[in-house]
Amino acid sequence: MMYEFKVSDLAEEFGVHRNTIRNWINAGTLSAKEGPGRKYLMKFHDYQKLCEKFGREPHVGPANNVSPKALGALEVTDVAPMEINGLKSQIALDPAWADSCMTCGTCASACPISGVDGLDPRKIVRMAVLGMDEELVASNWPWKCTMCGKCEESCPANIQIIALMRKIRGLRKRALVPGPIHKGVSMCLERGNNLGIPKDDFVFLCEDLGQELAEDCCPGFKTPIDVHGARVLVTVNSKEPFGEPDDMKWWWKIFYAAGESFTISSENWEGVNWGLFSGDDEAMKTVVGRIVDNMRRLNCKVLLLPE
Amino acid sequence: MSVFDLLLEYIKEGKIQLNKEVHKMAVAYHDPCNYGRKSLKAFGQAYFEEGREITKACCDDFRELYPNRKGAYCCGAGGGAWAMPFSAERVFYGRIKARQISESGAQLVIAPCHNCRDQLMKSLNKEYDLNIEVKYIWELVADSLIMPNKQ
Repeated sequence: MMYEFKVSDLAEEFGVHRNTIRNWINAGTLSAKEGPGRKYLMKFHDYQKLCEKFGREPHVGPANNVSPKALGALEVTDVAPMEINGLKSQIALDPAWADSCMTCGTCASACPISGVDGLDPRKIVRMAVLGMDEELVASNWPWKCTMCGKCEESCPANIQIIALMRKIRGLRKRALVPGPIHKGVSMCLERGNNLGIPKDDFVFLCEDLGQELAEDCCPGFKTPIDVHGARVLVTVNSKEPFGEPDDMKWWWKIFYAAGESFTISSENWEGVNWGLFSGDDEAMKTVVGRIVDNMRRLNCKVLLLPE
Repeated sequence: MSVFDLLLEYIKEGKIQLNKEVHKMAVAYHDPCNYGRKSLKAFGQAYFEEGREITKACCDDFRELYPNRKGAYCCGAGGGAWAMPFSAERVFYGRIKARQISESGAQLVIAPCHNCRDQLMKSLNKEYDLNIEVKYIWELVADSLIMPNKQ
């Protein structure tokens, strides 16, 4: 808690000359610093100590930002005030947010995890405009947020909270990204899908499943891998060939019934782009680029991303 | 093309025939954040009505979850949260969705998104004793198909 004073007022209060107060400040015996409007700021704790030394009651008024409740014993657990260092935040996308965010808290009311870890979207925005970049990047809260956009939807000032959240995620060291998200991104860049399924295994699995489907309800069905000139190129969520292969058949059954000409690429078929979640724009671009390459290579007209 | 555009194309052009008798239970449609709110922000187009149209083409007893569309609540597993090591928070997040579902009286919930489906089916259903079935929207369509006779 800070105590705000004018040199002249403090001089009068303690019965000394204005220059005496200035001398104390300059010599460091009174630890205060310049504040706005020719006023000075000192810790309320220091003000209380000064009063005690002079045998006076601390002065509490509407202008000095101190509640009467704070009076009494010297506050030994005074929390150090945060220094605003004037550095520009790398995270706050627009410095005008300091003004345009009215701290109304509508975002915090809309957010289903407000209060988790003592944080909410309003506080995150405020931390960003105050330049608390390090704290934000170290916090796990932006990763518990699902970037659902309820906050942004409700914001009367149009603060881009989701872009902010993604920016915070993107600034974290890649090795410290929680969970398998970044590992999936690296794996995808290296082997073409998030789970590193080899090409031969994938093609074999698809053909096998196609045969099952043909026997089950779609006579004559064959899984179309790398078919040039098919109308629809379909991407695959790697969790399906990895753990729930039968789930791929639903789309195939619909295509069969509709008489659609579709195909699946044998390489770079991953449809899940985890760069979106880890805040990794470069990786995202590479993965999208590969899908575009597949579209060109196989000369398809329509791209379906069932993710 | 989104999953909605393609499925609607098949339905509207009569390329597929659907049997409503397969799903006679109460069915609710869940709005995924990415196809709704976020698609609107990113591309200027949201898919709110398309998913409902497809679902209604497969079942008669259609239920809304409130609030929905632009104001819909996230399932709790978006933004990569399904894969994140913060499962207690993820389940806590989903409490609102779980309440909406039980208030709707739905026995089947349709999720057009992989993340939402996994959270609803594998997590919320058990954590909140919802006793529901969850299907992808294309799973609903595939299960409703009247297969053409061809060889």
